[in-house]
Amino acid sequence: MALLELKNITAGYDQNIILKDFDLSVEKGEFVSLLGSSGCGKTTCLRMIAGFSEPMAGQIIFDGKDYTKVPLHKRNFGFVFQSYALFPHLTVFDNVAFGLKMRKMDKETIRHEVLHMLKVVDLEGFESRYPREMSGGQRQRVALARALVIKPDLLMFDEPLSNLDAKLRVKMRVEIRRLQQELGFTAIYVTHDQEECFAISDKVAIMNKGVIEQMDTPSEIYNRPKTEFIARFVGFENFIDLERTGGCEFKANNGARIVTAADHEGSCKGCIRPGDVTVHAAGAQVPNAIQGRVLVSTFLGQRNQLNVQTDVGEFVVSTDQNQVFPVGETVTLSLAANKIILID
Amino acid sequence: MSRTKNAVWLLLILPGTLFVILFMLVPLFSLCLTSFFPDQSFSLSSYFRLFGDAYFQQTFMRSIRLSLLSTLVCALLGYPTAYYISKFSRHKGMMMAFAVFPMFTSPVVRSFSWMVILGKRGIVNNFLVWSGLFAKPQDLLYNEFSMTVGFVQLFLPQMILSLIGVMDNIPDDLTLAAGNLGATKLGSFFHVVFPLSISGLVTGSVLVFTGCMTAYTTPQLLGGTDTRVLSTMVYQYAMSLRDWTQASVVAVVMIVATMVISSVFNSVSRKINPMA
Ligand SMILES: Nc1ncnc2c1ncn2[C@@H]1O[C@H](COP(=O)(O)OP(=O)(O)OP(=O)(O)O)[C@@H](O)[C@H]1O
Ligand SMILES: [Mg+2]
Repeated sequence: MALLELKNITAGYDQNIILKDFDLSVEKGEFVSLLGSSGCGKTTCLRMIAGFSEPMAGQIIFDGKDYTKVPLHKRNFGFVFQSYALFPHLTVFDNVAFGLKMRKMDKETIRHEVLHMLKVVDLEGFESRYPREMSGGQRQRVALARALVIKPDLLMFDEPLSNLDAKLRVKMRVEIRRLQQELGFTAIYVTHDQEECFAISDKVAIMNKGVIEQMDTPSEIYNRPKTEFIARFVGFENFIDLERTGGCEFKANNGARIVTAADHEGSCKGCIRPGDVTVHAAGAQVPNAIQGRVLVSTFLGQRNQLNVQTDVGEFVVSTDQNQVFPVGETVTLSLAANKIILID
Repeated sequence: MSRTKNAVWLLLILPGTLFVILFMLVPLFSLCLTSFFPDQSFSLSSYFRLFGDAYFQQTFMRSIRLSLLSTLVCALLGYPTAYYISKFSRHKGMMMAFAVFPMFTSPVVRSFSWMVILGKRGIVNNFLVWSGLFAKPQDLLYNEFSMTVGFVQLFLPQMILSLIGVMDNIPDDLTLAAGNLGATKLGSFFHVVFPLSISGLVTGSVLVFTGCMTAYTTPQLLGGTDTRVLSTMVYQYAMSLRDWTQASVVAVVMIVATMVISSVFNSVSRKINPMA
């Protein structure tokens, strides 16, 4: 059974409904990322799980118990804030010790645990510093240590790395992943950085307009998106309406015959990434051929990007740098059969 | 480049600086001089005479006592009010306007209102008699009680404003973080909100205290002849007795006492919370 389950959650602010009929389930020990465009409700969802706000409807089940109305200080969930939310009047030691003091542990145990955790996040010797005397990355690690030291049943991160520079971001995400595998905690991680979320998670939940459109492993999402929104999200830019004519055989609405590796009942949409379409001279005899005319040609360093107008819509194609097609020229596009994904 | 910039800066701060020097530092300095040179030669005799005077001692202690008491009452009344307005109120702008409203009327008018309210036939006495708590009207005016009431009403807005200013800067995430780490509502208040608002409490206290020490209208109108404070004493020496030396001595004592006690407030707050 799942460790955390959100059932039919409705949440929002006053009249403004952000999440509607929202479901999510997280297994014990799993690292789940919530990914989605800005303003889609990721933070809202996370804060509700933490107990900072109550859902308007629906249930939060944790470890088989109804947590919907459990007050936040009784949840034993960790939370790493985007702003870190370190206590400015307390030293690093006291910041990390805060949760343990609230749990009324004895002084010696607290000292031991805090020092151990500071060692884990590589901040030995910083105990008596104040947060404002530390760098962004160091603060982030204090926030992490403070959340980890209480041994939370569930650890939540709200874009913890967004304030850091690109290099440190990569370093810290490896660190977080390492800690998670070492300590085995269950985590929900919010980000809108696709690479970060694919790199760090066991599962990725992609949100759109207040619901989760697909939740799967990163490679599953990347290779087999289930909806057009997700497909666009992971880099599919070409979509054609297809009608099934036989096993793995389809007809585009200009009559072109498209053969695919996968099969799909009835009419569907085929999607393909720009790099999986090849460009040939007009009239070339190639599989899955579609005629078109070059609209725009953009130099992108390693590769060229062509926008090609066809009878079935505009195609974005990525070609080799030395393959030059002047604007206005008629070309034949060939879609790689095993790279076409079929969605409803 | 930086030199012209500096010149521009100098020009900009010049008028203000000149004003302060001419109309504040110079008079202050000459005030001190007067107090130390009672008869053309340096002497502390005026100070000795003053501190030996029982009437002055009483007045001095009364000033300090009433100012401290009013500060305490302002803190006790202002803190919860400011906390509510800053963190829970849905109509913050309106509440702020109410809180500072007394500042828009002059201390004279306010003192007169208190005379009406606290007088022998004022609503407070009417209520006390009507409810049977007292058989006849009480003396609520022209004593330390009415002065304290006047001070508190006069300076409460300052306390509330400085507290709100500080509390507004405490991010809600900090209290949520405290709760998330297991603190109850009361716990996060005492461990997070309170220590972070001490600086506002100190600023407010310094404002209220110095305000009470130096206020003239309120103690003059709401105090009696046997409840003089330093500011009314200065006036008495200067205008009634025409003793300018003694008036400047009292004024200097008043300034020094105010500065000393304000800096005590500050150092206490620094002890409690070195980072705020
Ligand atoms: N306190 C609030 N009051 C009213 N509306 C809010 C509040 N906080 C957020 N919203 C609205 O709720 C929606 C979802 O916000 P949320 O913060 O959950 O987005 P998000 O997915 O975390 O976005 P981002 O990636 O930019 O952080 C947004 O449209 C936002 O305008
Ligand atoms: Mg957010």
